[in-house]
Amino acid sequence: MSGPIAQPRPPSPGARVVVRVVEEHSESLRVRRSLVQPFEASTDRGAMVTVWRRHGVGYCATADLGTESLQRAAESADGWARLAERHGVFDGIDLLALLESGALAPDRPDLGEPLPPRAALIDLLRAESDALHPDPRIVSWSASLRVTRHEQQLFVDGAPRIERSHRFVEPNLEATAVDGAMSQTRSLGGQYSGFTQQGGFEVVRASGLLGGGGRIAQEALQLLAAPECPTGVRDLLLMPDQMMLQIHESIGHPLELDRILGDERNFAGGSFVTLDLFGRYAYGSPLLDVSFDPGVPGEIAGYAADDEGEAARRVWLIRHGILQRPLGGGLSRARAAARGVALEGAACARAVGWHRPAIDRMANLNVEPGDTPFEGLIEGVARGVLMRTNVSWSIDDARNKFQFGCEWGQLIEDGRLTTVVRNPGYRGVSATFWRSLARVGDAATVQVLGTPFCGKGEPGQIARVGHAAPACLFRDVDVFGGEG
Amino acid sequence: MRALFDAIANALEAEAGAGEVLAATLQAESSEFARLNAGRIRQAGRVERAVARIRLVQGDRQAFHQVTLPGLDAGDDAVRRTVGEAVSALRAAVLDGAPDPLLDLNRDPVVAVDEAVAAPFDRSAFVDTVAAAAGDADLVGFCAAGPVARGFCSSTGSRQWYARPRVSFDWSIHLPPDVGADAARRAVKAEWSGAAFDPVAVAAAIARSRAQAAVMGGPTRRLAPGEYRVLLSPRALADLLEMLCWGGFSARAHRAGQSPLARLAEGRAALSPLLSIDEDLAAGFAPGFQSDGYPRPRRIPLVRAGRMGELLVSPRTAREYGLRSNAASEHEAPESMRVAPGALATRDAMARLGTGLSVANLWYLNFSDRPACRITGMTRFACLWVEDGEPVAPVEAMRFDDSLYRILGEHLEALGDTPAAMPATDTWEARSIGGLEAPSALVAALRFAS
Repeated sequence: MSGPIAQPRPPSPGARVVVRVVEEHSESLRVRRSLVQPFEASTDRGAMVTVWRRHGVGYCATADLGTESLQRAAESADGWARLAERHGVFDGIDLLALLESGALAPDRPDLGEPLPPRAALIDLLRAESDALHPDPRIVSWSASLRVTRHEQQLFVDGAPRIERSHRFVEPNLEATAVDGAMSQTRSLGGQYSGFTQQGGFEVVRASGLLGGGGRIAQEALQLLAAPECPTGVRDLLLMPDQMMLQIHESIGHPLELDRILGDERNFAGGSFVTLDLFGRYAYGSPLLDVSFDPGVPGEIAGYAADDEGEAARRVWLIRHGILQRPLGGGLSRARAAARGVALEGAACARAVGWHRPAIDRMANLNVEPGDTPFEGLIEGVARGVLMRTNVSWSIDDARNKFQFGCEWGQLIEDGRLTTVVRNPGYRGVSATFWRSLARVGDAATVQVLGTPFCGKGEPGQIARVGHAAPACLFRDVDVFGGEG
Repeated sequence: MRALFDAIANALEAEAGAGEVLAATLQAESSEFARLNAGRIRQAGRVERAVARIRLVQGDRQAFHQVTLPGLDAGDDAVRRTVGEAVSALRAAVLDGAPDPLLDLNRDPVVAVDEAVAAPFDRSAFVDTVAAAAGDADLVGFCAAGPVARGFCSSTGSRQWYARPRVSFDWSIHLPPDVGADAARRAVKAEWSGAAFDPVAVAAAIARSRAQAAVMGGPTRRLAPGEYRVLLSPRALADLLEMLCWGGFSARAHRAGQSPLARLAEGRAALSPLLSIDEDLAAGFAPGFQSDGYPRPRRIPLVRAGRMGELLVSPRTAREYGLRSNAASEHEAPESMRVAPGALATRDAMARLGTGLSVANLWYLNFSDRPACRITGMTRFACLWVEDGEPVAPVEAMRFDDSLYRILGEHLEALGDTPAAMPATDTWEARSIGGLEAPSALVAALRFAS
């Protein structure tokens, strides 16, 4: 982190000042069609100054970290806080009490194995790029790696509350094969870089990037020649790199407390979950256990405290299928309490950078493994489809009625994996889909995945979220294929 | 922000060494953001941010470093320091890469200024106006106000500048919970934009949306999956067409096998002869230059009477595939699409629909089969069942899943005669520029899957 900054004074009586300083540096390497692309780097540093009053809060973000600039930012934030006091949603809520919780939370995790020099990384990507192009029907192929260092400090009334230092590693491979009017794309981690984790070079190795180019290319060619996924009601086996999307869209977003409180209704939408459902609602079958877990080694959204300073710990969101608690940070919980609903939540008030305020985000949201080995997941399945690697996602504004598509499908017939199929997709409804969860894979089927591309909020924020999951079998799902 | 841009340009000229060319694109904003729930402030603040993407060209090599400038009012020395640090890092990095045969940068000293100013945003006036107009209505909304700017400059003397004041306010009015079990989802959406906040116009627009919300009050209708006639509002048609920005008109995406309009470009499929789309800078949504510093053509025909017109070709793609560049942006996505209007008068539209769905907004679109240009998504906000030209009931959210070659091909009956201008309101990493102008569309059949 660059040098210290002067903390602004309270701009008016009754105001308290919180400053969050964020610094990020990233480097992107990419080889596309066997051509090394220009090096891309990014350096971003600035401060979010938030002024809290008893019944109002406002913010001002600036990249000018000089003393006068930060003081002006505090005054600007105070102006909005005063307007919010007069005409905000915080009547009956003591916002200043939210600043009292939490102690200094240093968050300096192991940054993992050192990364090779830049030139050596380019050579690795070049080798995979060459392997991605074994056939002229592969018309586009790329190997890429982005590494981001993220550092953050939070000061409350001038005193340090959070010190954070993370490194994110984002490897990917992609190949597109074309034959006539048909094209098929296969990738390592999906189009939103599902293998992103915290750490170092071990993330690259665990992702399968090294030596993975040949497999990705062959699978793209295999899909090109494959029949379309059949249409009808079948059992559905989702692998972890599709489970992450399924968890994200139909558990994560509906459980965000700010959505439940209506903040997102003009944009990302509301939720079919209501405040009265916690503690009693059967979200899924008894096999469904979902945790908010900031402590899984390497998982992308792990941290010691959220961006408002609340210490983070592992909690159950869904236990034995029953809904336990929302993804709600301190402010959202206080607003729910003001409506007469006292809820436990999770330390999930997060912002994507210095230029955005914190809102409820899902961080690491995981489905816990069961005890069924992979062979047991397909055993006895008469008509099913295995799907992996998300490629298409759409869900209604209450996060209920969804339709998802995958890169890769394979039929399950009489307990055996058989024909590879292309353009596999399925539809369902969140409120009932998880109740059809019939088998949960054991720990050997788990993958720790994550993406840097979860969008939410006004102004918009694209956040890092982690999802670890086993392979899971669902009964009687509407599946379909493409048009050919 | 203009002074900041000039400081960057000066720094590039000062920092460029022998045999080097430096260039930068600038993206800057001074924004007031206000988020409302239940007609009251939920989260509000100010963001000042300027980001320069600095490019070093050394012979046949190049590298990029994006830096955040230390404030909108950063002085010459601070800017010079920031740019200098980035250039030093680039000099070290560019040697790790490889010669770039696709390098293309306009070195002509193009100077162009396209700038407008407006009165500053008055926070109190905004809050008071909305509070009074919303009254007891459950208004949920978001306002982004203040200037946005884009620039391109280089050490070879280019200085191209685009700045606009803009207020974008979009909101939805939600019915109270006592209307029905699914009341939380009964709402109408509206948007207003201008160079400066206009309290009278915004209050009138909120009053109109409150009146429209009353239509959503009756019992909802649940439709069985199947095909229905639909009247798409300009916003709903824009939602569909924005999907084509995902590679539909990109020459690179076509060559890479990733375009949803590949079959249109190859003549294997066609859209309706009623449909013509231009990338048209005259709409004023986007600057007249692109990230390599080339001036952009005023108009590019993208779709001509249902057939593919020109693809968007960036200088880099032109070199890669031996094509002729039309100075498209790096991402080769339209920024200022204009759909030619048709002959369907607004007053006749519901009668022409007859019985079917009037769709105000679509939501969460994605390709369900990209080569077939098949798109899935949901209806959202005011979606009404219409019988004999009269709206009779709101409809529960429906999922459509259909090919654009059918929706805007054989099934397109008519386009409205009154296009609506819809400036982009995205604020993901920064406030967007760009926008789209489109009319309504009458479609004989849209496939709903669930």
